[in-house]
Amino acid sequence: MSRRLNGATLFAIALRANLLQAAWNFERQQGLGWAHALAPALRRLYPERSERLERLAEHTAYFNTQPTLASIALGAAARLEEDRASGAGGDAASMARLKSALGSTLAALGDRLFWLTLRPFAASLGVLLAIAYPQHAWGAIALWCVYAVPHLALRFGGVGWGYAAGPGLLSGAFRERIESAMRWLAVLGCVVLGVALALALAPGGEPRPIAVQCALAGGLGLGLLTAQHARPSPTRWALALGILGLGMAWRNHG
Amino acid sequence: MKGPLLGTLVVGGLAALDATPVAQTLASQPLVTATLLGVLWGDWPTALAVGTVLQILAASTLPIGARTPEDYAVGGVAGAGVALMLASQAPYEHMRQASALVGVMTGMVAATLSVPVLRWQRRANEGLARWCESALRAGRESALSQAQWAAVALAFSLGLASCVVWLALGHWGAPFVERESLRLAGAWHLLQPLWLGFGFAQLLHAFVQRRLERAGVFAASLVGAWLVIVAGSP
Repeated sequence: MSRRLNGATLFAIALRANLLQAAWNFERQQGLGWAHALAPALRRLYPERSERLERLAEHTAYFNTQPTLASIALGAAARLEEDRASGAGGDAASMARLKSALGSTLAALGDRLFWLTLRPFAASLGVLLAIAYPQHAWGAIALWCVYAVPHLALRFGGVGWGYAAGPGLLSGAFRERIESAMRWLAVLGCVVLGVALALALAPGGEPRPIAVQCALAGGLGLGLLTAQHARPSPTRWALALGILGLGMAWRNHG
Repeated sequence: MKGPLLGTLVVGGLAALDATPVAQTLASQPLVTATLLGVLWGDWPTALAVGTVLQILAASTLPIGARTPEDYAVGGVAGAGVALMLASQAPYEHMRQASALVGVMTGMVAATLSVPVLRWQRRANEGLARWCESALRAGRESALSQAQWAAVALAFSLGLASCVVWLALGHWGAPFVERESLRLAGAWHLLQPLWLGFGFAQLLHAFVQRRLERAGVFAASLVGAWLVIVAGSP
Protein backbone atom coordinates (compact mmCIF):
# COMPACT_ATOMS: atom_id res chain seq x y z
CA MET A 1 0.00 0.00 0.00
CA SER A 2 1.66 3.23 -1.14
CA ARG A 3 1.60 6.02 1.46
CA ARG A 4 0.72 9.57 0.40
CA LEU A 5 1.48 12.87 2.10
CA ASN A 6 -1.41 14.94 3.47
CA GLY A 7 -1.96 18.62 4.20
CA ALA A 8 -0.88 18.29 7.83
CA THR A 9 2.48 16.87 6.78
CA LEU A 10 3.03 19.61 4.22
CA PHE A 11 2.17 22.23 6.87
CA ALA A 12 4.66 20.63 9.29
CA ILE A 13 7.33 20.90 6.58
CA ALA A 14 6.51 24.60 6.05
CA LEU A 15 6.63 25.26 9.81
CA ARG A 16 10.07 23.65 10.02
CA ALA A 17 11.24 25.67 7.00
CA ASN A 18 11.52 28.55 9.50
CA LEU A 19 14.53 26.69 10.97
CA LEU A 20 16.09 25.98 7.54
CA GLN A 21 19.15 28.08 8.44
CA ALA A 22 19.35 27.31 12.16
CA ALA A 23 22.64 25.43 11.76
CA TRP A 24 23.81 27.23 8.61
CA ASN A 25 27.48 26.46 8.00
CA PHE A 26 30.06 26.82 5.24
CA GLU A 27 30.32 23.11 4.46
CA ARG A 28 26.69 21.95 4.15
CA GLN A 29 25.01 25.39 4.33
CA GLN A 30 21.27 24.63 4.74
CA GLY A 31 21.78 20.83 4.74
CA LEU A 32 20.80 20.19 8.33
CA GLY A 33 17.78 22.48 8.21
CA TRP A 34 16.67 20.81 4.97
CA ALA A 35 16.72 17.33 6.52
CA HIS A 36 14.96 18.62 9.65
CA ALA A 37 12.24 20.24 7.53
CA LEU A 38 11.69 17.11 5.41
CA ALA A 39 11.60 14.80 8.46
CA PRO A 40 7.78 14.84 8.84
CA ALA A 41 7.39 13.52 5.27
CA LEU A 42 10.05 10.85 5.75
CA ARG A 43 8.44 9.77 9.02
CA ARG A 44 5.14 9.24 7.18
CA LEU A 45 6.61 7.57 4.08
CA TYR A 46 9.13 5.25 5.77
CA PRO A 47 7.69 3.47 8.81
CA GLU A 48 10.72 1.15 8.78
CA ARG A 49 13.27 2.89 11.04
CA SER A 50 16.60 2.00 9.42
CA GLU A 51 15.40 3.04 5.95
CA ARG A 52 14.06 6.30 7.39
CA LEU A 53 17.34 7.10 9.16
CA GLU A 54 19.27 6.36 5.95
CA ARG A 55 17.10 8.85 4.05
CA LEU A 56 17.48 11.48 6.79
CA ALA A 57 21.27 11.14 6.77
CA GLU A 58 21.25 11.39 2.95
CA HIS A 59 19.31 14.68 3.14
CA THR A 60 21.79 16.33 5.54
CA ALA A 61 24.13 16.80 2.58
CA TYR A 62 24.93 20.21 1.08
CA PHE A 63 21.98 22.37 0.02
CA ASN A 64 21.64 26.11 -0.43
CA THR A 65 19.06 28.45 -1.89
CA GLN A 66 17.18 31.59 -1.00
CA PRO A 67 15.54 30.72 2.35
CA THR A 68 12.03 31.87 1.47
CA LEU A 69 11.68 30.07 -1.86
CA ALA A 70 13.35 26.97 -0.39
CA SER A 71 9.79 25.88 0.46
CA ILE A 72 9.09 25.18 -3.21
CA ALA A 73 12.11 22.87 -3.36
CA LEU A 74 11.00 21.17 -0.13
CA GLY A 75 7.55 20.49 -1.63
CA ALA A 76 9.02 19.09 -4.84
CA ALA A 77 11.45 16.89 -2.89
CA ALA A 78 8.63 15.60 -0.69
CA ARG A 79 6.75 14.61 -3.88
CA LEU A 80 9.79 12.75 -5.24
CA GLU A 81 10.28 10.97 -1.89
CA GLU A 82 6.65 9.90 -2.10
CA ASP A 83 7.33 8.36 -5.53
CA ARG A 84 10.52 6.69 -4.25
CA ALA A 85 8.72 5.20 -1.26
CA SER A 86 5.96 3.80 -3.46
CA GLY A 87 8.43 2.44 -6.01
CA ALA A 88 7.01 4.67 -8.73
CA GLY A 89 10.47 5.95 -9.58
CA GLY A 90 13.22 8.19 -8.34
CA ASP A 91 16.43 7.39 -6.50
CA ALA A 92 19.23 9.13 -4.61
CA ALA A 93 20.76 10.46 -7.85
CA SER A 94 17.51 11.94 -9.17
CA MET A 95 16.86 13.52 -5.76
CA ALA A 96 20.32 15.11 -5.82
CA ARG A 97 19.68 16.44 -9.36
CA LEU A 98 16.30 17.88 -8.31
CA LYS A 99 17.80 19.61 -5.27
CA SER A 100 20.69 21.01 -7.28
CA ALA A 101 18.53 22.32 -10.14
CA LEU A 102 15.87 23.84 -7.90
CA GLY A 103 18.43 25.21 -5.45
CA SER A 104 20.27 27.30 -8.00
CA THR A 105 17.16 28.41 -9.91
CA LEU A 106 15.32 29.48 -6.77
CA ALA A 107 18.44 31.22 -5.46
CA ALA A 108 18.81 33.28 -8.64
CA LEU A 109 15.14 34.28 -8.58
CA GLY A 110 14.80 34.64 -4.82
CA ASP A 111 17.97 36.66 -4.24
CA ARG A 112 16.90 39.22 -6.79
CA LEU A 113 13.34 39.40 -5.42
CA PHE A 114 13.99 39.34 -1.66
CA TRP A 115 17.52 40.65 -1.09
CA LEU A 116 17.92 43.05 -4.01
CA THR A 117 14.37 44.42 -4.30
CA LEU A 118 11.87 43.69 -1.51
CA ARG A 119 14.30 44.20 1.37
CA PRO A 120 15.63 47.56 0.13
CA PHE A 121 12.06 48.61 -0.67
CA ALA A 122 10.82 47.69 2.82
CA ALA A 123 13.77 49.55 4.35
CA SER A 124 13.16 52.64 2.20
CA LEU A 125 9.49 52.73 3.14
CA GLY A 126 10.37 52.23 6.79
CA VAL A 127 12.92 55.06 6.75
CA LEU A 128 10.48 57.35 4.89
CA LEU A 129 7.78 56.82 7.53
CA ALA A 130 10.31 57.13 10.37
CA ILE A 131 11.36 60.54 8.99
CA ALA A 132 7.79 61.62 8.28
CA TYR A 133 6.36 60.45 11.64
CA PRO A 134 9.24 60.62 14.13
CA GLN A 135 6.89 60.24 17.10
CA HIS A 136 5.32 56.97 15.91
CA ALA A 137 6.33 53.38 15.16
CA TRP A 138 4.90 53.39 11.62
CA GLY A 139 8.33 53.03 10.09
CA ALA A 140 9.19 49.81 11.91
CA ILE A 141 5.68 48.39 11.44
CA ALA A 142 5.68 49.13 7.69
CA LEU A 143 9.20 47.72 7.24
CA TRP A 144 8.28 44.47 8.98
CA CYS A 145 4.88 44.00 7.29
CA VAL A 146 6.00 44.85 3.74
CA TYR A 147 8.68 42.16 3.96
CA ALA A 148 7.34 39.55 6.39
CA VAL A 149 3.85 39.13 4.86
CA PRO A 150 4.98 38.06 1.37
CA HIS A 151 7.95 36.21 2.88
CA LEU A 152 5.83 34.08 5.22
CA ALA A 153 3.07 33.64 2.60
CA LEU A 154 5.56 32.21 0.09
CA ARG A 155 7.25 30.14 2.78
CA PHE A 156 4.00 28.48 3.90
CA GLY A 157 2.35 28.39 0.45
CA GLY A 158 5.48 27.30 -1.40
CA VAL A 159 5.56 23.77 0.01
CA GLY A 160 2.11 22.98 -1.40
CA TRP A 161 2.97 24.52 -4.79
CA GLY A 162 6.23 22.61 -5.03
CA TYR A 163 4.48 19.39 -4.04
CA ALA A 164 1.69 19.93 -6.59
CA ALA A 165 3.63 21.38 -9.54
CA GLY A 166 7.25 20.33 -8.95
CA PRO A 167 10.06 22.00 -10.93
CA GLY A 168 7.61 22.92 -13.71
CA LEU A 169 6.33 25.70 -11.44
CA LEU A 170 9.33 27.88 -12.25
CA SER A 171 9.00 28.00 -16.02
CA GLY A 172 5.51 29.45 -16.37
CA ALA A 173 3.39 32.37 -15.09
CA PHE A 174 4.91 32.15 -11.58
CA ARG A 175 8.30 33.34 -12.82
CA GLU A 176 6.77 36.10 -14.97
CA ARG A 177 4.72 37.36 -12.00
CA ILE A 178 7.87 37.53 -9.87
CA GLU A 179 9.81 39.37 -12.60
CA SER A 180 6.95 41.86 -12.99
CA ALA A 181 6.73 42.36 -9.21
CA MET A 182 10.45 43.12 -9.12
CA ARG A 183 10.16 45.75 -11.85
CA TRP A 184 7.24 47.50 -10.11
CA LEU A 185 8.89 47.40 -6.68
CA ALA A 186 12.06 48.96 -8.10
CA VAL A 187 10.11 51.84 -9.68
CA LEU A 188 8.08 52.32 -6.48
CA GLY A 189 11.34 52.27 -4.55
CA CYS A 190 12.61 55.21 -6.63
CA VAL A 191 9.45 57.15 -5.80
CA VAL A 192 9.72 56.35 -2.06
CA LEU A 193 13.37 57.42 -2.00
CA GLY A 194 12.55 60.68 -3.79
CA VAL A 195 9.90 61.53 -1.21
CA ALA A 196 12.15 60.45 1.68
CA LEU A 197 14.98 62.67 0.46
CA ALA A 198 12.61 65.62 0.06
CA LEU A 199 11.40 65.08 3.63
CA ALA A 200 15.00 64.86 4.87
CA LEU A 201 15.74 68.17 3.12
CA ALA A 202 12.67 69.97 4.46
CA PRO A 203 11.10 68.19 7.43
CA GLY A 204 7.69 69.68 8.25
CA GLY A 205 7.95 72.05 5.29
CA GLU A 206 10.86 73.98 6.81
CA PRO A 207 14.04 73.64 4.64
CA ARG A 208 17.00 72.59 6.78
CA PRO A 209 20.12 74.84 6.97
CA ILE A 210 22.15 74.97 3.74
CA ALA A 211 25.07 73.14 5.40
CA VAL A 212 22.81 70.19 6.21
CA GLN A 213 21.35 70.14 2.68
CA CYS A 214 24.89 70.16 1.26
CA ALA A 215 25.86 67.29 3.57
CA LEU A 216 22.84 65.29 2.35
CA ALA A 217 23.67 66.03 -1.29
CA GLY A 218 27.34 65.27 -0.69
CA GLY A 219 26.48 61.96 0.92
CA LEU A 220 24.20 61.10 -2.01
CA GLY A 221 26.90 61.89 -4.54
CA LEU A 222 29.60 59.98 -2.68
CA GLY A 223 27.25 57.06 -2.18
CA LEU A 224 26.43 56.83 -5.89
CA LEU A 225 30.15 56.80 -6.68
CA THR A 226 31.05 54.13 -4.13
CA ALA A 227 28.01 51.99 -4.99
CA GLN A 228 29.63 51.10 -8.33
CA HIS A 229 32.10 48.84 -6.48
CA ALA A 230 31.30 46.08 -3.94
CA ARG A 231 34.46 46.74 -1.87
CA PRO A 232 34.98 48.52 0.43
CA SER A 233 31.49 47.83 1.77
CA PRO A 234 29.05 50.71 2.47
CA THR A 235 29.63 50.18 6.20
CA ARG A 236 33.39 50.69 5.82
CA TRP A 237 32.76 53.91 3.86
CA ALA A 238 30.27 55.12 6.48
CA LEU A 239 32.74 54.38 9.28
CA ALA A 240 35.42 56.35 7.43
CA LEU A 241 32.99 59.27 7.08
CA GLY A 242 32.29 59.05 10.80
CA ILE A 243 35.96 59.20 11.72
CA LEU A 244 36.47 62.10 9.30
CA GLY A 245 33.51 63.97 10.79
CA LEU A 246 34.77 63.45 14.32
CA GLY A 247 38.21 64.73 13.31
CA MET A 248 36.67 67.89 11.87
CA ALA A 249 34.53 68.42 14.97
CA TRP A 250 37.58 68.13 17.22
CA ARG A 251 39.53 70.58 15.09
CA ASN A 252 36.72 73.11 14.80
CA HIS A 253 35.90 73.12 18.50
CA GLY A 254 39.64 73.64 19.30
CA MET B 1 17.76 51.42 34.23
CA LYS B 2 18.13 47.67 34.98
CA GLY B 3 14.84 46.73 33.29
CA PRO B 4 15.58 48.43 29.95
CA LEU B 5 19.13 47.04 30.03
CA LEU B 6 17.95 43.45 30.48
CA GLY B 7 15.28 44.00 27.84
CA THR B 8 17.94 45.27 25.45
CA LEU B 9 20.02 42.12 25.94
CA VAL B 10 17.00 39.87 25.26
CA VAL B 11 16.17 41.88 22.12
CA GLY B 12 19.81 41.38 21.08
CA GLY B 13 19.50 37.60 21.42
CA LEU B 14 16.18 37.50 19.56
CA ALA B 15 17.53 39.72 16.77
CA ALA B 16 20.46 37.34 16.35
CA LEU B 17 17.92 34.54 15.87
CA ASP B 18 15.75 36.34 13.32
CA ALA B 19 18.78 37.43 11.27
CA THR B 20 19.61 33.95 9.93
CA PRO B 21 18.71 30.92 12.08
CA VAL B 22 14.96 31.42 12.68
CA ALA B 23 12.20 32.78 10.40
CA GLN B 24 14.23 35.66 8.78
CA THR B 25 11.25 38.09 8.89
CA LEU B 26 13.43 41.26 9.11
CA ALA B 27 12.33 41.80 12.72
CA SER B 28 16.09 42.01 13.32
CA GLN B 29 16.52 45.10 11.15
CA PRO B 30 17.88 48.16 13.05
CA LEU B 31 14.75 50.30 12.57
CA VAL B 32 12.55 47.58 14.08
CA THR B 33 14.82 46.79 17.02
CA ALA B 34 15.54 50.49 17.68
CA THR B 35 11.78 51.16 17.78
CA LEU B 36 11.34 48.34 20.32
CA LEU B 37 14.18 49.74 22.42
CA GLY B 38 12.71 53.24 22.13
CA VAL B 39 9.60 51.89 23.82
CA LEU B 40 11.66 50.04 26.46
CA TRP B 41 13.76 53.10 27.37
CA GLY B 42 10.96 55.63 26.81
CA ASP B 43 13.16 57.77 24.52
CA TRP B 44 11.67 57.85 21.08
CA PRO B 45 13.77 60.56 19.37
CA THR B 46 17.13 59.01 20.21
CA ALA B 47 16.00 55.53 19.22
CA LEU B 48 14.64 56.62 15.83
CA ALA B 49 17.61 58.89 15.09
CA VAL B 50 19.99 55.94 15.51
CA GLY B 51 17.64 53.35 14.01
CA THR B 52 17.03 55.36 10.83
CA VAL B 53 20.75 55.82 10.02
CA LEU B 54 21.70 52.23 10.87
CA GLN B 55 18.71 50.93 8.90
CA ILE B 56 19.67 52.73 5.76
CA LEU B 57 23.19 51.29 6.00
CA ALA B 58 21.92 47.81 6.85
CA ALA B 59 19.61 47.83 3.83
CA SER B 60 22.57 48.05 1.50
CA THR B 61 24.35 45.14 3.19
CA LEU B 62 23.25 42.03 1.30
CA PRO B 63 23.56 38.37 2.45
CA ILE B 64 24.51 37.15 -1.04
CA GLY B 65 27.46 35.06 -2.21
CA ALA B 66 30.32 33.71 -0.12
CA ARG B 67 31.11 36.97 1.73
CA THR B 68 29.87 37.11 5.34
CA PRO B 69 28.17 40.53 5.50
CA GLU B 70 28.23 42.92 8.46
CA ASP B 71 25.82 41.77 11.17
CA TYR B 72 23.35 44.63 11.64
CA ALA B 73 21.09 42.44 13.77
CA VAL B 74 23.61 42.75 16.61
CA GLY B 75 24.91 46.12 15.35
CA GLY B 76 21.43 47.65 15.42
CA VAL B 77 20.69 46.58 18.99
CA ALA B 78 24.18 47.46 20.24
CA GLY B 79 24.06 50.91 18.63
CA ALA B 80 20.56 51.85 19.77
CA GLY B 81 21.15 50.33 23.21
CA VAL B 82 24.35 52.28 23.81
CA ALA B 83 22.77 55.53 22.57
CA LEU B 84 19.69 55.13 24.75
CA MET B 85 21.77 54.20 27.80
CA LEU B 86 24.02 57.26 27.37
CA ALA B 87 21.11 59.62 26.63
CA SER B 88 19.29 58.44 29.76
CA GLN B 89 22.10 59.71 31.96
CA ALA B 90 21.85 63.44 31.08
CA PRO B 91 18.59 64.93 29.73
CA TYR B 92 20.13 67.69 27.53
CA GLU B 93 19.47 67.97 23.80
CA HIS B 94 23.15 68.10 22.87
CA MET B 95 23.79 65.04 25.08
CA ARG B 96 21.05 63.21 23.18
CA GLN B 97 22.67 64.13 19.85
CA ALA B 98 26.11 63.12 21.13
CA SER B 99 24.63 59.79 22.29
CA ALA B 100 23.02 59.25 18.89
CA LEU B 101 26.36 59.77 17.17
CA VAL B 102 28.15 57.37 19.53
CA GLY B 103 25.31 54.89 19.03
CA VAL B 104 25.58 54.95 15.23
CA MET B 105 29.36 54.56 15.35
CA THR B 106 29.02 51.74 17.90
CA GLY B 107 26.43 50.05 15.72
CA MET B 108 28.64 50.11 12.64
CA VAL B 109 31.73 48.90 14.54
CA ALA B 110 29.69 46.16 16.25
CA ALA B 111 28.22 45.07 12.89
CA THR B 112 31.73 44.91 11.40
CA LEU B 113 33.40 43.15 14.34
CA SER B 114 30.55 40.61 14.52
CA VAL B 115 31.71 39.07 11.22
CA PRO B 116 34.48 36.93 12.79
CA VAL B 117 31.98 35.85 15.49
CA LEU B 118 29.53 34.80 12.76
CA ARG B 119 32.30 32.85 11.00
CA TRP B 120 33.21 31.08 14.26
CA GLN B 121 29.52 30.24 14.81
CA ARG B 122 29.27 28.77 11.30
CA ARG B 123 32.40 26.68 11.86
CA ALA B 124 30.85 25.40 15.08
CA ASN B 125 27.72 24.49 13.11
CA GLU B 126 29.89 22.42 10.73
CA GLY B 127 30.97 20.22 13.62
CA LEU B 128 27.36 20.00 14.73
CA ALA B 129 26.28 18.88 11.24
CA ARG B 130 28.95 16.18 11.03
CA TRP B 131 28.02 14.90 14.51
CA CYS B 132 24.35 14.87 13.47
CA GLU B 133 24.92 12.79 10.34
CA SER B 134 27.00 10.19 12.16
CA ALA B 135 24.47 10.03 15.00
CA LEU B 136 21.66 9.52 12.48
CA ARG B 137 23.57 6.70 10.79
CA ALA B 138 24.17 5.22 14.23
CA GLY B 139 20.42 5.09 14.75
CA ARG B 140 19.71 8.20 16.89
CA GLU B 141 16.74 9.82 15.12
CA SER B 142 16.48 12.63 17.72
CA ALA B 143 19.97 13.87 16.76
CA LEU B 144 18.50 16.09 14.03
CA SER B 145 16.24 18.10 16.33
CA GLN B 146 18.93 18.23 19.02
CA ALA B 147 21.44 19.67 16.52
CA GLN B 148 18.94 22.27 15.28
CA TRP B 149 18.00 23.48 18.77
CA ALA B 150 21.65 23.50 19.87
CA ALA B 151 22.42 25.80 16.92
CA VAL B 152 19.49 28.07 17.85
CA ALA B 153 20.71 28.27 21.47
CA LEU B 154 24.23 29.08 20.27
CA ALA B 155 22.99 31.91 18.02
CA PHE B 156 20.85 33.43 20.80
CA SER B 157 23.69 33.27 23.32
CA LEU B 158 26.19 34.89 20.94
CA GLY B 159 23.76 37.71 20.15
CA LEU B 160 23.09 38.35 23.82
CA ALA B 161 26.78 38.12 24.79
CA SER B 162 27.78 40.55 22.01
CA CYS B 163 25.29 43.11 23.31
CA VAL B 164 26.62 42.69 26.86
CA VAL B 165 30.11 43.57 25.60
CA TRP B 166 28.98 46.65 23.65
CA LEU B 167 26.76 47.98 26.42
CA ALA B 168 29.59 47.51 28.91
CA LEU B 169 31.94 49.47 26.64
CA GLY B 170 29.26 52.15 26.27
CA HIS B 171 28.91 52.40 30.05
CA TRP B 172 32.69 52.63 30.42
CA GLY B 173 32.86 55.45 27.84
CA ALA B 174 29.95 57.46 29.32
CA PRO B 175 32.11 60.03 31.21
CA PHE B 176 34.04 60.81 28.02
CA VAL B 177 30.83 61.23 26.00
CA GLU B 178 29.35 63.56 28.61
CA ARG B 179 32.58 65.62 28.79
CA GLU B 180 32.84 65.93 24.97
CA SER B 181 29.09 66.10 24.26
CA LEU B 182 29.29 69.54 22.61
CA ARG B 183 31.89 68.41 20.08
CA LEU B 184 30.06 65.16 19.44
CA ALA B 185 26.74 66.98 18.96
CA GLY B 186 28.47 69.27 16.47
CA ALA B 187 29.76 66.28 14.56
CA TRP B 188 26.26 64.74 14.58
CA HIS B 189 24.81 67.80 12.81
CA LEU B 190 27.20 67.14 9.89
CA LEU B 191 27.31 63.35 9.91
CA GLN B 192 23.62 62.49 10.26
CA PRO B 193 22.64 64.07 6.90
CA LEU B 194 25.87 62.82 5.30
CA TRP B 195 25.10 59.25 6.34
CA LEU B 196 21.45 59.55 5.26
CA GLY B 197 22.45 60.81 1.81
CA PHE B 198 25.09 58.10 1.52
CA GLY B 199 22.57 55.41 2.48
CA PHE B 200 19.90 56.74 0.12
CA ALA B 201 22.44 56.43 -2.68
CA GLN B 202 23.03 52.72 -1.96
CA LEU B 203 19.28 52.04 -2.10
CA LEU B 204 18.88 54.17 -5.22
CA HIS B 205 21.63 52.16 -6.88
CA ALA B 206 19.76 48.95 -6.00
CA PHE B 207 16.53 50.23 -7.56
CA VAL B 208 17.79 52.09 -10.64
CA GLN B 209 19.97 49.21 -11.97
CA ARG B 210 21.38 51.44 -14.77
CA ARG B 211 17.89 52.23 -16.13
CA LEU B 212 17.73 56.01 -16.69
CA GLU B 213 13.94 56.14 -16.65
CA ARG B 214 13.99 55.00 -13.05
CA ALA B 215 16.48 57.75 -12.20
CA GLY B 216 13.98 60.12 -13.82
CA VAL B 217 11.20 58.74 -11.62
CA PHE B 218 13.38 59.38 -8.56
CA ALA B 219 14.17 62.95 -9.61
CA ALA B 220 10.55 63.74 -10.42
CA SER B 221 9.29 62.40 -7.09
CA LEU B 222 12.04 64.28 -5.23
CA VAL B 223 11.15 67.61 -6.84
CA GLY B 224 7.40 66.98 -6.67
CA ALA B 225 7.53 65.98 -3.01
CA TRP B 226 9.77 68.93 -2.13
CA LEU B 227 7.33 71.33 -3.79
CA VAL B 228 4.36 69.78 -2.02
CA ILE B 229 6.15 69.75 1.35
CA VAL B 230 7.62 73.27 1.16
CA ALA B 231 5.08 75.10 -1.02
CA GLY B 232 2.14 73.15 0.35
CA SER B 233 2.83 73.93 4.02
CA PRO B 234 1.35 77.17 5.49
